[in-house]
Amino acid sequence: MSSRRSRSRQPGVSRISDDQIADLVSKLQQLIPEIRNRRSDKVSASKVLQETCNYIRNLHREVDDLSDRLSALLASTDTDSDQAAIIRSLLM
Amino acid sequence: MRPPTSLKKEFLKKWIMGLQLCSSSKKEMSFLERKKAIKLSADVAMASARNATTRWSRALISNASKDDSNKGLVECILGPESESLKRASMSLVLCNKRNRSKKILRKSCSIRRARKSSSQMVMASSIAKRLVKKRTQVLKSLVPGGGSMSEFSLIEETLDYILSLRAQVDVMRHLANATELLNRK
Repeated sequence: MSSRRSRSRQPGVSRISDDQIADLVSKLQQLIPEIRNRRSDKVSASKVLQETCNYIRNLHREVDDLSDRLSALLASTDTDSDQAAIIRSLLM
Repeated sequence: MRPPTSLKKEFLKKWIMGLQLCSSSKKEMSFLERKKAIKLSADVAMASARNATTRWSRALISNASKDDSNKGLVECILGPESESLKRASMSLVLCNKRNRSKKILRKSCSIRRARKSSSQMVMASSIAKRLVKKRTQVLKSLVPGGGSMSEFSLIEETLDYILSLRAQVDVMRHLANATELLNRK
């Protein structure tokens, strides 16, 4: 790996090799269901980044929707200790 | 990284703490107020469950603490580690300012270099590079504290952030389903 291909521009920091970045990108690929299900090995970096952004946006939206739902549900029933204890025991 | 179930447990504990604090302090909350409290407690609880080991969690906590109305909630959820966590988040903010001026200098140099290339091959690869650059910028805006990270750390942080978000969504969904079931009885 010639030094010209190195992406790190910070002096004094160890050079991050392209291999390391490719490794991370492939890990990211594994996480995103869109790409994982398509079963093709050749996914471009920009596609991975695009799907990552979409995925994160979807997760944000889900958190928002769930907060809406919980707000409506918890309106009638306060989260007093009894209920919290029941829920904790249900989930663990 | 810790196994997902222990992360979920940590998150749930802190989130419920935050929720109880919210409901005890204000008896009459509007729908939106309650929703904001739920969302904020969830985000801060998830960030603190990572124990300031990741930059996105520190950035999230420092952003949340900036608002005075949230401070009490944030401190309660963070618990005894709150002072050291706040100090860690503060240092991140100061670091950002230094990096930004370095970046502006670097950017002005690279713009001058890019104008020289003109062959076809170089065009294709530079288009690809520009796409990646653009998408990286979008990703930086989505991950908390992303603006000051190098490409490498950004991807690392994204991996962790996605895993945490997934755990957060799972727990929230289970709680919503369980509460629905309880309410029906």
